[in-house]
Amino acid sequence: MGSFGRPSGRATAVVLALAEQPATWRYGYELCERLDLAAGALYKALMRLADRGLLETAWERDLPAGRPPRHLYRLTGPGRALAAELAAGPPVRPTPARVVGGVGRRPRPEGT
Amino acid sequence: VNRTRAIGRLGGLAASTAAAAPFAFLWVQMMSNADDPLTARARLDMAIWMAVFGTPWMLAAWLLWRAWWRRAGARLATLDGQGWLLAAAAATLPGDRRDWGTAMAAELAQVPGGAPRWRFAAGCARAAVFPPRGTRAAVGVTGALAATATTATALATGAALPAGRVFALTFVGLLGGLATLTVARSRRVRRAGPGPAVAGLALAGIAGCVAFTAYYLAEYPSTHRGHPPTTAATLPPVTAVVLAVVLAGCLWLALTPPRWLVGDRHGRRFGVGMALALVAGFVATSRLALRGVDLVDGGMMSYLLFAAPVMVLAGSAAAGAAGRSFRAGLWACAWATVLGAPLLIVAWLAEAPRWYRQVGGLLLDADGGVGMGANLGDAIWWTLVVLVLWALPLGVLGAAAGSARARRRRARERADLAPTA
Repeated sequence: MGSFGRPSGRATAVVLALAEQPATWRYGYELCERLDLAAGALYKALMRLADRGLLETAWERDLPAGRPPRHLYRLTGPGRALAAELAAGPPVRPTPARVVGGVGRRPRPEGT
Repeated sequence: VNRTRAIGRLGGLAASTAAAAPFAFLWVQMMSNADDPLTARARLDMAIWMAVFGTPWMLAAWLLWRAWWRRAGARLATLDGQGWLLAAAAATLPGDRRDWGTAMAAELAQVPGGAPRWRFAAGCARAAVFPPRGTRAAVGVTGALAATATTATALATGAALPAGRVFALTFVGLLGGLATLTVARSRRVRRAGPGPAVAGLALAGIAGCVAFTAYYLAEYPSTHRGHPPTTAATLPPVTAVVLAVVLAGCLWLALTPPRWLVGDRHGRRFGVGMALALVAGFVATSRLALRGVDLVDGGMMSYLLFAAPVMVLAGSAAAGAAGRSFRAGLWACAWATVLGAPLLIVAWLAEAPRWYRQVGGLLLDADGGVGMGANLGDAIWWTLVVLVLWALPLGVLGAAAGSARARRRRARERADLAPTA
């Protein structure tokens, strides 16, 4: 994990989602919808990742008139390295929250 | 546009009414609590005094509302409930996370209406009000240090200075709590924002206040005053808590000021200048009065009631004119209050023994037959009354007057640039 501690289940889900297309800028609501995360949980995870230098942020350009520019996110080099380690490592243990959807899905007990 | 104007006018009226309400309440209280039935003349006199103190507050409240409404309110009027919720929550974000509030607001604009918008806004508001903690170890260490310091203060003052226990406990506890909150909410602990002059002056004033308070409480733990004289604690619990809250608040504002308070260099410079001028004027007037120069009638009350507010009024007007903005004058007034309050208390407590030796009475009004320790309560309450209740609204009026010319010029320029039909 390098110099970074193991991120929480939500942060891990965000890192892995961003790592699917690492060169693409993503925006907050898109990640909320994709990961089915509450906005509060997503933004806390994004803030933590940015604090640790794992996330690169930018403001949207070339936007239609009248719409405020959105904040865009993608992984930095260390972020991508972390994503690779997380993807290769043992399954992520999600935090007991709404981490369902494509990444970081809570494993259901067999027979349910 | 009409709706925005209507809300703006209604808000101005509400702000003025809210500013007048405490004075009206105070007048009603005084009328109903009077020992003897008051004459119509006495009621009118009290009403005039309330109007004298209340009118500047009403005008100041209206000016502050108008300035805020022009700057941010008109934009907020276009927001829906979810936008208001998010804007209010984002305003509490620490300075180094300010962009996140803008990011959340921009994202909210893309969320379709109804329940999803409320869910998104509520989630973002939660993240804004409770952003991720700073380094958990640092938060833990700061919290542990704060608890240790508060406990040590309780033990030390209990043994060495029982009369100062309430003040010391409240002050150290508040500082510890504020320090822990700062570390917990910020990504990193910032340097003092407003610069070394402001931070140094605030630290000097607060350290002086604490030292003089300890000295007075050690020398005069109880004092006598009143007619007939009664003996009471020099620093009653309510006054002790007020002093602790004021000093901790001043230190908090000077070392980690909110982002809206540090933007204007004219405001800071004039604020520092006004605080120094207030104290220098206080000391010079006191010394001259003690040498027999007929500057003040009796004690220093007339300096506090007339000279100090005029200095704040003039200083804020000068800052507004120099910075060519209402904000510059406003911040100058705010810094003068934050820095001037502790320094004025220090100057008061330093000068009071001279008055007691030479005049045989208190510094405030040269009243004799009262214990020396009574100066401590006078210094605290009168400084607050003069600076906060009296000088602060006058400073707001000064800021508006000083910046009026610049605002008129900007309005003319906007009118010239506007497309003609």
